[in-house]
Amino acid sequence: MPESTTNRSDPAVPMVQVRSLTTVLGGKVIFDSLDLEIARGSISAIMGPSGTGKTTLLKHITGQLHGDSGTVLVDGQDVARLGREDLFRLRERVGYLFQNSALLSDYDVFENVAFPLRAHTKLPEDLIRNIVLMKLQAVGLRGASRLMPSELSGGMARRVALARAIVFDPMLILYDEPFVGLDPIALNQVLKLIRTLNRELGITSVLVAHEFAAIREVADVVHLIAGGKRVASGTPSELARGDSPWTAQFFGGALEGPVPFQYPAPPLADDFGFEEQRA
Amino acid sequence: MRQLAARLFDPLLDGLADVGRTGWFFLGMLIALPRGLTYPRELFRQIWFVGAKSLIIIMISGLFVGMVLSLQLYYTLSIFGGTSALGTVIALSLYRELGPVVTALLFAGRAGTAITAEVGLMRATDQLSAMEMMAVDPMAFVASPRFLAGLIAMPLLVAVFNLMGLFGGHLVGVSWLGIDNGTFWSNMTSNVSVWKDVVNGEWKALAFGALVSLIAVYQGYSAPPTSEGVANATTRTVVSSSIAILALDFVLTAFLM
Repeated sequence: MPESTTNRSDPAVPMVQVRSLTTVLGGKVIFDSLDLEIARGSISAIMGPSGTGKTTLLKHITGQLHGDSGTVLVDGQDVARLGREDLFRLRERVGYLFQNSALLSDYDVFENVAFPLRAHTKLPEDLIRNIVLMKLQAVGLRGASRLMPSELSGGMARRVALARAIVFDPMLILYDEPFVGLDPIALNQVLKLIRTLNRELGITSVLVAHEFAAIREVADVVHLIAGGKRVASGTPSELARGDSPWTAQFFGGALEGPVPFQYPAPPLADDFGFEEQRA
Repeated sequence: MRQLAARLFDPLLDGLADVGRTGWFFLGMLIALPRGLTYPRELFRQIWFVGAKSLIIIMISGLFVGMVLSLQLYYTLSIFGGTSALGTVIALSLYRELGPVVTALLFAGRAGTAITAEVGLMRATDQLSAMEMMAVDPMAFVASPRFLAGLIAMPLLVAVFNLMGLFGGHLVGVSWLGIDNGTFWSNMTSNVSVWKDVVNGEWKALAFGALVSLIAVYQGYSAPPTSEGVANATTRTVVSSSIAILALDFVLTAFLM
């Protein structure tokens, strides 16, 4: 087994610390001196308008992307300064649930969950089988172990991806839009799983999502990001009160507010030629 | 004038840049190759996929190429009264040129496009990113086994193609056109050199296998994550591979002659 189970971490240090992170992608400022902390053992939600960089933030946490300035510390380690080997060692202790599940399409459910075990350990086949079936049992899909990804519904694929993400009992799981496209039953199952993993195994969880009703059920803390900065943080109930213009607009769903409805564009008259018509 | 120059030179510069990027990719893949060998299951799976599954098309094509060769050469040789050399000429044509080149072109069309489409879709559906997130290097797990599989499968496929070609040539030449069976084989065995003809053909097969696999994996790996991107990458694999095979064939022939 990799070092996932031997947690060298200092409990006093937050699991994730984002300090003055500035990122510019394709000429667009994604983060403008962003500061954020994720407490160890918490369930934290990252929310914000579409295109505000929530998934990009997860990519910074996992070292898939690096900012132009500032630091991202995971378990006390500066992700941008890690070499490839150290980064991979860190990733062995981090689970990532992709928005589209990202199951390996050539492998069945069992082999998908077994994939990290086969790649990083030399465990005997019997033990791999037991671990995989245990994880599949935890997500309610032990009976689907021989199905191919193409035979799964969206909710089932999400649960298989979750089983794969927890196969090494990681210290941190990042969920990218885990509730999209789920029916109410599957949604409740996923919510229950996130809670159980957090309470039973003490896994720190970070969720990127838009569904506030679901977030309210499960998250301890919500961070609202807009305009490249963290504009509000608090418990779901605190943010739902809408004390600031940002929270009032975002959680109230108002069209008008600090987040513009329209993407930046030239004046309407320029595009529709109003001046010429008048002339 | 400037626009015209840009229109003329931009595709050339893009092509050169692509060759450069493929070179870098090749270097990265070579570095990842030893780690790729730690996934033997994936390597065997790929050999099955690009090698065993290409057998049927290679066998059928080899048979017909041999049959056509026999017909054409019989006609040409009969003008000079040299039909007894039919077996020799068929064998030399197959071992030295047609075997490696036609097999490589077929390999690019069957296995190369499949590799590009598969890797491109893996990129588009975040499977490669998922591997990175599971601390598995896709260069070692995806690129290297596919490259190695092409390298291993191509010489074997060429051998099968040549064998079927000889069988087809024999079928037409001996059974249909009435060439003496003993003359057919004895002329062939006395004039074909194992080292100069057969082995040199296999060197070509190895080089073409490496070339097609590299192009196929690179195109899939660098395909934009859209349906159009994957489709274009698949087309580029066939076009680039075909041109590269013919160009490399000329260079290798000049060196191996």
